[in-house]
Amino acid sequence: MDKKIENKPTQANLFAVLNPYRTILFVLIFLALLSNGLTLWVPLIIAHGIDGFLKSHALLGSVVWEFAIAAALIFIFTYLQSIAQTFASERVARDLRKKLSEKIAGHSYAFVEKATPGKLLTNLTSDIDSVKTFVAQAIVNIASSVFIIIGASFLLLTLNWKLGLVVLAIIPIIGGTFFFVLGKVRKLFLRTREVIDRLNKVINESILGAALIRVLNSRKPEDQKFGSANAEARDLGLQILKLFASMIPVITFSTNLAVLAILTLGGHFVIQGSMSLGNYAAFNSYLIILIFPILIIGFMSNIIAQAQASYGRVAEVLDAVDAPETGTLNVPLKGGVSVSGINLQYGQKPALKDISLSFTPGSKTAVIGPTAAGKTQLLYLLIGLIEPDSGSVEYDGQNIHNYSRVSLHKQVGFVFQDSIIFNMSLRENIGFNTEASKGNMDKAVATAELDDFIHTLPEGLDTIVSERGASLSGGQKQRVMLARALALNPKILLLDDFTARVDTSTERKILENISKNYPGLTLISVTQKIAAVEHYDQIVLLMEGELIATGTHDALLTSSPEYAQIFESQKSTSNYE
Amino acid sequence: MNYTLNTTSSQTQKTSIADAMKKLWPLIAPEKAILFVALGAVVVNAALNLLAPLLIAHVINVFVPAKNYHGLLVYAGYILIMYLFALVTSYLQTWLMGGVGQRVLFRLRGSVFTKLQELPVAFFNQNKAGDLISRINNDTDKINQFFSQSLIQFIGSIFLMAGAAIFLLSLNIRLGAAALAPSVLLLIFTQAISPWVKRKNLVSMQSLGGMSSEIQESLNNFKVIIAFNRRDYFKNRFQEVNENNYSASITAGLANNIFTPIYGLCSNLGQLIVLAYGIYLISVGNFTIGLLISFIAYVNNFYNPLRQLAALWANFQAALASWDRVHEILVLESDLQTEITGTKRQSGDVLDFVDVHFKYPDGKEVLHGINLKLQRGKTYALVGPTGGGKTTTASLMARLYDPTGGQVLLDGSDIRSYEENERTKKIGFILQEPFLFSGTIRDNILYGNDELEHYSKEQLERAILDNGLEKLLARFDKGLDTPITGSGDALSLGQKQLIAFIRAVLRKPELLILDEATANIDTVTEVLLEDILKKLPAATTRVIIAHRLNTIAEADEIYFVNSGTVTQAGSMEHAVDMLLHGKRES
Repeated sequence: MDKKIENKPTQANLFAVLNPYRTILFVLIFLALLSNGLTLWVPLIIAHGIDGFLKSHALLGSVVWEFAIAAALIFIFTYLQSIAQTFASERVARDLRKKLSEKIAGHSYAFVEKATPGKLLTNLTSDIDSVKTFVAQAIVNIASSVFIIIGASFLLLTLNWKLGLVVLAIIPIIGGTFFFVLGKVRKLFLRTREVIDRLNKVINESILGAALIRVLNSRKPEDQKFGSANAEARDLGLQILKLFASMIPVITFSTNLAVLAILTLGGHFVIQGSMSLGNYAAFNSYLIILIFPILIIGFMSNIIAQAQASYGRVAEVLDAVDAPETGTLNVPLKGGVSVSGINLQYGQKPALKDISLSFTPGSKTAVIGPTAAGKTQLLYLLIGLIEPDSGSVEYDGQNIHNYSRVSLHKQVGFVFQDSIIFNMSLRENIGFNTEASKGNMDKAVATAELDDFIHTLPEGLDTIVSERGASLSGGQKQRVMLARALALNPKILLLDDFTARVDTSTERKILENISKNYPGLTLISVTQKIAAVEHYDQIVLLMEGELIATGTHDALLTSSPEYAQIFESQKSTSNYE
Repeated sequence: MNYTLNTTSSQTQKTSIADAMKKLWPLIAPEKAILFVALGAVVVNAALNLLAPLLIAHVINVFVPAKNYHGLLVYAGYILIMYLFALVTSYLQTWLMGGVGQRVLFRLRGSVFTKLQELPVAFFNQNKAGDLISRINNDTDKINQFFSQSLIQFIGSIFLMAGAAIFLLSLNIRLGAAALAPSVLLLIFTQAISPWVKRKNLVSMQSLGGMSSEIQESLNNFKVIIAFNRRDYFKNRFQEVNENNYSASITAGLANNIFTPIYGLCSNLGQLIVLAYGIYLISVGNFTIGLLISFIAYVNNFYNPLRQLAALWANFQAALASWDRVHEILVLESDLQTEITGTKRQSGDVLDFVDVHFKYPDGKEVLHGINLKLQRGKTYALVGPTGGGKTTTASLMARLYDPTGGQVLLDGSDIRSYEENERTKKIGFILQEPFLFSGTIRDNILYGNDELEHYSKEQLERAILDNGLEKLLARFDKGLDTPITGSGDALSLGQKQLIAFIRAVLRKPELLILDEATANIDTVTEVLLEDILKKLPAATTRVIIAHRLNTIAEADEIYFVNSGTVTQAGSMEHAVDMLLHGKRES
């Protein structure tokens, strides 16, 4: 294998994938050659039978036996070959999928978002399927074709080297055509894959946004988007087809020209007397044997080009630099968190500007601010989902990078703003981190006020909830997510506006439960409702990425006019609450 | 209605070629003319490829021994002309048949997607996105592979075989029949085994769909996986489906590969029969040795294409299995059809719920006999504990579902009697989970809005100003041109809610439903939204679902929704009282 090619991510070497499977591929090719060789033996048996009959005028039982044995062996070898072929190709696909999925699992959140889940889905399914087809079909076919071509060419050259050279003259023509067409086709295949990614995205959005599309009656724009991507896929398909539709006749025709050259030139030699008629006839039959494998290689080149393009995409992900390895610190957290000098750019816009904050162990902090203030980003930074452009996050005075992620994520609970429910039982959803003990689970469920709801379910905690949690109401989903975070028995709890979909009295109960059941918990809560957090140790006011004010509720009311304004906007009804 | 795609039902179907062709025919029908020409090209090409060797044999057997170089050159000229024809026909057959394949794929994908668009929300709640994607991409591609790659060879092979079979029988009917006998065995074998092979392919495609769902779910929820330290979750769950897919594919692969060795065996059997029987015939004086030699060659002409057919047949079975999966979607019908015979009741109300019951498929009833009257121009608030039925009530108002009992009347007529565009024009619904399409904010707020779609930038800005939405738009640093990326994760939920709000207001609905539509928006901005809502035309009816009391403070009427029943709260105090102390069952 060419090492230079291997290292370039854009020109990933498809054949490098095969390295670990040398043994089974060797067996595969061996079996293929064996059955091909035996197939060539059959005409000899027939010839032998006829010759024997001509000599002795008796049906030779041995010929029938030879034939039967050959047929049986061919059957066994082709059958074994098909088994080897299936296992080899499926194993390549399975292992490549495993490798790729492990690679993806090791990457950061930012990587997956940037690569887009849609593209990674194509990588893991269709792209690897192309590689599988390559192993299943191309390898055996090419090996046997090359075998036959070399064998037949050798026989041709030994029969008559002059005529042989004429035949071999077509090889550069065929090679050149392959080279030209495959070079063009590879780019087209890559573009096709990109279009398929786009198709996936449109399908994906039309599924996830199904309710919205029906509310707005906006099928037309979706159909247009899909239609244009679909048409582009078709046009690319037709372009590729055009190349192959031209390539195959060109190859056949040049081979046919060789046949014709042999016919006239060889006929001339025979008539001149420089070649025997028998050799001439043999020459022609070998030539016909030669044509078929050349055609096969033509068909296979399609599969190779497609697999090459697909593997290039897979290799891009495989070769991407891993997420930075985290530290090894594995100690129980006391609950102190601080950030200093945090800057974060989101696109061209700064999302957080020079933020420094500290949260003492066991304290309760509310983060308040208008939409797009950077509240969620701040929480993402704290849990390490995203990295700041500058500044640092510290837990108990130690940089977040010093901690092992495993240990940190075990002690810091996070409740996301958007509902994320996995398609499995409520128990598995809540005990998503498998280390949650029964006691911690029960406590979490009780704290999130889910007991009553779970009791109404016939299967209780074992009820399977569906994808995107469609069978749960908005508030139920949020409480399940809270229970999921609490089941860790965390030392620090980060809440991202989790009470937005929970009614006031439930919210109050939940917050009371948290104080009661999780004493000493450091709470950092992004929220909109001041009434619920008035008594918190610290309130942080963020606006457009800037830290406007920090302090207690009473202090902020006098010191921060912005805070007072927010408070005022909620005051009108707070007497009810 | 149950929209779950139940793939096991198709296992009982028997596949006959005629059945399959009948199913596939609508997709191919528009290509009839091209298909006909392509078929012509395939036949001519096959005939030329059969004829050329015969001419060559003639040259070798006749002209060369006779040292007739002139005759040789003349024949070489004929052969060259044939090759030139073959060049054209071979190009035509690949190009035309491949084109048919590409266009069939295009139509097939298109019709599946259109079908998806016609199906109601319930369909999407019952099926996994990943599996649907797999059906649209991987399954249609299997069908395409058959059309563009296999069909040419398929037809060519069948043509060659038929020709060779007729030739064999006409040479010597008894020997010919003996030579063809193994192929009858093959026919029976193929008939018997094909349904099994197809079933294995179906299982394999299902497992691919399952894998696709798993990847879809895990990658879209990747942040939870990271924050909860469950990278192993993705790894393990994926490994599980990967192993499933592996064993299903192995079984399918073994099933598909069973044809080639068996066909090869029969081919050799055919030759053996010819050899043995032929020698016997010669020994009893009914046949000559020269005829036997050429007969064996012709037997090869019959069995070689048959061997090719073996691999193609497996492709065909895979395509049929995929077709079943695609077909399952195509035959689903939405039960939310427009009914012309809706009862007309005179009523001044925008919306009436008359004894409405609702249950989700396979679930218990979630709404029990709800009666509601929404008057024009008023603001209604729905409050109540989570899981009480607020969102379901709102969804029935917008006909995302139909009630399982009772009636929903829109402007006095059954909501089912409205055409979709008419209904969606009247009703604006801001969903609980905001969803944005990739593109820009402009794309998103104009999405599905026929009126504003063709507005120039200035006109659009004026419309935004007229509705008092400019301050909301100012929250986005690039205004209308702010890009929205794939998952929209760069925007907060609150920002997404703002965009959904702008979109709904610009549509000027008669009835505007806000389902916790401002839950994640800060209270200062929310005051702004309230002002905008107040400025809506006087006839606009608003239905607001919210937990924050200040959001609903100005409602004309408050309804308390709990345990699937709706009661009028009368006053704010009473509503709060019910919320805090009322019996609940959530």
